[in-house]
Amino acid sequence: MLIERTWKKWVYFYIPLTVFVVGTLFPFYWMLITAIRPDAELYRSWRAATNTPFWTLQPTLEHFRDLMAKTTFPQWLWNTFFIAVASTAISLFCGLLAGYALARLRFPMAGTLGTSIFVTYLVPPTLLFIPLANIIRTFQLGDTPWALILTYPTFLIPFCTWLLMGYFKTIPRELEECARIDGATRFGAMLRIVFPIAVPGILSAGIFAFTLSWNEFIYALVFLSSPEKKTVPVGVVSELIRGDIYFWGQLMAGALLGSIPVALVYSFFVEYYVTGLTGSVKG
Amino acid sequence: MNKPIAGGAGSAARLEVVLPHPRATEPRRLTRFLENERALAALLLAPTVLVLGTFIAYPFIMGVWLALSSTSVGNVGEFVGMRNFAKAWNDSIFRTAFGNTFVYTFWATIFKLTLGMWLALLLNRHFRGKRIVRASMLLPFIVPTVLSTFAWRWMFDPTFSVLNWLLYRADLITTKLPFLSDGTYGMWCAIVVNTWRGMPFFAITLLAGLQTINPDLHEAASLDGANGWRRFWYVTWPLLKPVTLVVVVFSVIQTFSDFQLIYVLTGGGPANSTHLLATYAYQVGVATGLLGEGAAISLFMLPVLFVVVWLQLRYLRRMDGA
Amino acid sequence: MRRREFLTTTGLAASVAATGLESIVAARRAPAFAQGTRLNILRWVDFVPACDVELRRQASEASKALGAEVVFEFINANDLQPRITAAIQSGAGPDIIMMLHNWPHLYANGLVDVTELGEWQGKEQGAYYAQSEAAAKDGARWLALPHGIVGLQFAYRKSWLEEVGQTTWPRTLDELRQVGMKLKKKGKPMGQTLGHTFGDAPAWSYPLVWAFGGMEVDRTGKKVVLDAPATLESVKFMQAFWKDACDEGGFAWDDTSNNRAFLAGEIAATLNGASIYIAAKRGQEKIKDEKGEPMVKDIQHGPIPNGPAGTHGYHVAFSHAVMRYGKNVKLAKDFLTWLHGKQQFAKWFEVAEGFSVGSTKYWEQHPMWERVDPPMKIYRQAAAASRMIGYAGPPSARATEAYTKYIIVDMYAKACQGTKAEDAVKWAAGELSKIYG
Repeated sequence: MLIERTWKKWVYFYIPLTVFVVGTLFPFYWMLITAIRPDAELYRSWRAATNTPFWTLQPTLEHFRDLMAKTTFPQWLWNTFFIAVASTAISLFCGLLAGYALARLRFPMAGTLGTSIFVTYLVPPTLLFIPLANIIRTFQLGDTPWALILTYPTFLIPFCTWLLMGYFKTIPRELEECARIDGATRFGAMLRIVFPIAVPGILSAGIFAFTLSWNEFIYALVFLSSPEKKTVPVGVVSELIRGDIYFWGQLMAGALLGSIPVALVYSFFVEYYVTGLTGSVKG
Repeated sequence: MNKPIAGGAGSAARLEVVLPHPRATEPRRLTRFLENERALAALLLAPTVLVLGTFIAYPFIMGVWLALSSTSVGNVGEFVGMRNFAKAWNDSIFRTAFGNTFVYTFWATIFKLTLGMWLALLLNRHFRGKRIVRASMLLPFIVPTVLSTFAWRWMFDPTFSVLNWLLYRADLITTKLPFLSDGTYGMWCAIVVNTWRGMPFFAITLLAGLQTINPDLHEAASLDGANGWRRFWYVTWPLLKPVTLVVVVFSVIQTFSDFQLIYVLTGGGPANSTHLLATYAYQVGVATGLLGEGAAISLFMLPVLFVVVWLQLRYLRRMDGA
Repeated sequence: MRRREFLTTTGLAASVAATGLESIVAARRAPAFAQGTRLNILRWVDFVPACDVELRRQASEASKALGAEVVFEFINANDLQPRITAAIQSGAGPDIIMMLHNWPHLYANGLVDVTELGEWQGKEQGAYYAQSEAAAKDGARWLALPHGIVGLQFAYRKSWLEEVGQTTWPRTLDELRQVGMKLKKKGKPMGQTLGHTFGDAPAWSYPLVWAFGGMEVDRTGKKVVLDAPATLESVKFMQAFWKDACDEGGFAWDDTSNNRAFLAGEIAATLNGASIYIAAKRGQEKIKDEKGEPMVKDIQHGPIPNGPAGTHGYHVAFSHAVMRYGKNVKLAKDFLTWLHGKQQFAKWFEVAEGFSVGSTKYWEQHPMWERVDPPMKIYRQAAAASRMIGYAGPPSARATEAYTKYIIVDMYAKACQGTKAEDAVKWAAGELSKIYG
């Protein structure tokens, strides 16, 4: 429709976009270059003439090898994945049902309940930390993945419920009513009409929940102790930080490998994620 | 928003054909029970209430009790009323942390919003490699915060900083910049990292919002002679406002109670100048073992968050009504 | 289906029974503990990686000797305290936890009385250093069993000091500052952390208070006496020293930063454990100086130079605490007896090559000291000349609280960042009064 002149397109579009891309991705480039840089180069003085911070002439996979050989990194990766999937599943299940109830059903205290579920999202984790440790002990969950699978939903459920509630509101009631006139039960209509339509919303809540669990650090640090049960962030931080060996290479290798699974999940679902979020917020 | 509904209507149409028959096999009583809205609501809400009740309500009450007691690690405390709150309020480090939390939240949110909006507008256009650029923009949001913050710490390293090297080579500086070794610099570095991490979330969500805006509106506006900025201000922005507010609410909650980033980047140092409420609460309560005082500091966050969120939600509802 | 299920369950039952039998057989060999008993020990990630390897090896040996599975967990030292707090509050966690500094006093109510063991070790291995006792003994009660002491000395580059005309390590703090000034002008400053980190920052700050005659509290441990001319002098010295001689990035350093900076040839001297020297020695092919020679040949150690009131180091005491919530207290004690006994400790001690010295004087006589390189010999008797944080009061949880809040460290950090020396001292004294008051 509008024909832009070339220089204008450069100034308003290509240059800013390039700056964004470089700014966003530079830390990743930096992780990568640190991870494949040999130790001897990593600790060169910053003023040394031979310092080539942006590339390396002798790339090495040594750090990746060390990471695999000297730590239980693959195990951490699996633990994190398992914990993230399980806690996401629980949160989605709860959030889906609660979100539907709050969006569609009329019952006393609906408003209060909705608000209080949202308010739980505001409670700072630093406050819950010690009391939660008590609960973990009471249920004998210490040093098991369940300690995290059951505590992560505390910050995931409010989010999922809220997001899905918004999403359900955007789905026209008429669809359900049609189904019920045709003889479907309320429950059946929810299950077979509303939920399938809400798939983008469910996916986007799921992805977000998955990311948050993948990220979590403080509960994982405190509730797990056996080296082979740790999650990626905790394992990498607690086993690769020491005084005098050159850990930066392995640390960055761990950071890169630790983000690949989530990156894959996103690249598959990014479009759903986008539609799901819009759905919920328009409601 | 048209897309999912359209798709949904299609699948609903397909489903209608299959629907009638399972009814016959379902036990009558259960069906009737589930037809009752209240009963169904109770059933659907039960898992959530159970999980949140056990893992939030109870710990929360315990946490409040801690804040009102003199409990320290290994010692059962006694009730001391508001003493922990008073002590925190008179503590100079607490006040720094309190102020820092506001500065941090305010600027990080502003940056995330403006940059995220800008990026969303750029990504909303058609260009080659659009998909891959969109997907890669999400990367900062994906890497575990602790690990990406370590990468930033490595870039800000007082001795080996690549940023210093760059500025030095470009003859912009003669001595290293004290990225993390000065309180003010440290705070801004933390804001930069937080912005880097949170901006993609803004951008993608706003992009989602932008895509629901009918392009005809823009065309009409440009026919009326509106330039780019005016088109944004009078057409795009009003339609994006609800989405924006929701993202801002989430972002404020997360940023205000942020812990990991500062914990890794500066540990609250130098000389407590970069503490946030969450990191200070952690240092007092968990590291030093003064559980009562730590809980009190954490609790200071709640009313503030509550007010901020309440204001935003009220605004949102009012707009909805309009 | 059902039948197959049944078969698998019986199969399982049979195998359970079989292991049961085995355990009975095993029980005849190692009488002590029920099968499947597991003993968890939480320690820091050692700055000498070989030490952790040795401990893991010892763990498998101990497992056989004690008839229970002994498992070590190593985490970043800065994350130890949250783990201890959560473990004590929730009453679940590792059976034995390594304590640094005088932490045992802070966690006293969560620890098992190990007086028996403390006395046994003292009898077997000679008199404890005062530092070991101060860290882990409350009156007559041993709160934890002293394991070792990490000595902290200045590591410095001989050739760089010679370049500015200094052939010996400075004797006084003023000399140190003069030398540092010349070095910093040449772009080779000294470096020290004043950040929030567990080891190097307090090990540099506390001795500086003492070198000028300052004290946190008086002998009774009840009256805060930090706000005194001596402390003020020390703060003024640090301000000048920091500006004239130090790498100002130190505010953001953690315990590992000075190691890296030193090994990369960025700084001339830093107060640290022996880990710099040991790393330089083990990585000779990788860590070179400007001339391409292994850097280790150019490293020497020296003590904190004298201030007006002499010099008193702060060497970090390490101990093992048996946690009260643990279900295997007896086993934990047995294991510590095994691990701390002369025979086993000696193996670990030799791997540490002087980074960790023993908790008693006995270990000064160990033949390892004849084998270590000359620059390492200074660590041999270092632990004897140490004071405990909270000086001059008796060891107490309050001293630990002041330490975990980094009050002394921050007093210097504030002053070096531009706060007036008087105000920094006043602030620190005020904070201490809140703790001791």
